[in-house]
Amino acid sequence: MKLETLKEIIKKKENKLEFAIVTNLSTGESELFEEKKPLSKNFDKYNDQINKFYKSKKNGVIENTDIFIETYIRPIKVIIVGAVHIAQYLVDYAKSLNFEISIIDPRGYFASEQRFPNISIINKWPDEAFKEIETNSNTALIALTHDPKIDDPALQHALKKKFYYIGALGSKKTHGNRCQRLRDAGFSEDEINSIHGPIGIKLGGKSAPEIALSIISQLVSETYKK
Amino acid sequence: MKNSFDEKILEEANDWITTNQKVVLATVIQTWGSSPRQVGSRMIVNEKGDFSGSVSGGCVESAVVRECIGIIKENKSFKKIEFKVSNESAWEVGLACGGEIAVYLEQIN
Repeated sequence: MKLETLKEIIKKKENKLEFAIVTNLSTGESELFEEKKPLSKNFDKYNDQINKFYKSKKNGVIENTDIFIETYIRPIKVIIVGAVHIAQYLVDYAKSLNFEISIIDPRGYFASEQRFPNISIINKWPDEAFKEIETNSNTALIALTHDPKIDDPALQHALKKKFYYIGALGSKKTHGNRCQRLRDAGFSEDEINSIHGPIGIKLGGKSAPEIALSIISQLVSETYKK
Repeated sequence: MKNSFDEKILEEANDWITTNQKVVLATVIQTWGSSPRQVGSRMIVNEKGDFSGSVSGGCVESAVVRECIGIIKENKSFKKIEFKVSNESAWEVGLACGGEIAVYLEQIN
């Protein structure tokens, strides 16, 4: 692989672009593939097969060829509401996973850059914050404040936009009250039941890193169910 | 949805090159049967045999390191190698799990 190709890959990953690396295993040549961009003449004759493989988001050698393709998907957007202690560990775990984390917290003293270096922090109330973030059914929400004033508007937004994962921290009692408020706000039982609450898989631990681990495990598991 | 991981091996390769190390990139390109790591898994090796990442569960890494050093010494640009099931009673490199993998090695230059 040429060094310039490597640098281009890293740049595209930083810019959160979707692309693929195509390599001819018998000549050693490689280049980057992007949808609707023409390939060089060395790869052009495989264009249809590369396109087909790319659309299925798989990695592998294209049948009856020497062409290897590795697809890169955009990182999954994970929005954390509440710049609390657990969130600091979630950020650590997410580093080796393909998750792009944003944190929303209107309380300035929590959402400081010192506590969360290099993370996008939106120091606003959820209703205002969501105007700045594009969200859809590929987005995940982790609500950690267990304060209805902050969590509820975020949960309502996530339900309306059909996020694939919605989790909310809080005891069974807190979650019961939360469900009642959502019911009162007009959400259906199916919608309310789609919220993972109390959040996380049962690991048994109660410390911040253990709770963060149980949440990230549930998130990965739900990501593969998509 | 594939690839919910990102081990940042390519970023690390770039860091190594910035510090004047020669780097060979090893990528799992095909697997048959039960293999420890999926297609697209990566490992990098420098001229001293330092490595990062993985292409198996520790079963064939030593052989991959040797091959990569060979590529740097002979100044080759690429090579494809395959690993098959190992004989459990012998101290040889192979996949004890019974799978087979093909790994593509390429020098970054």
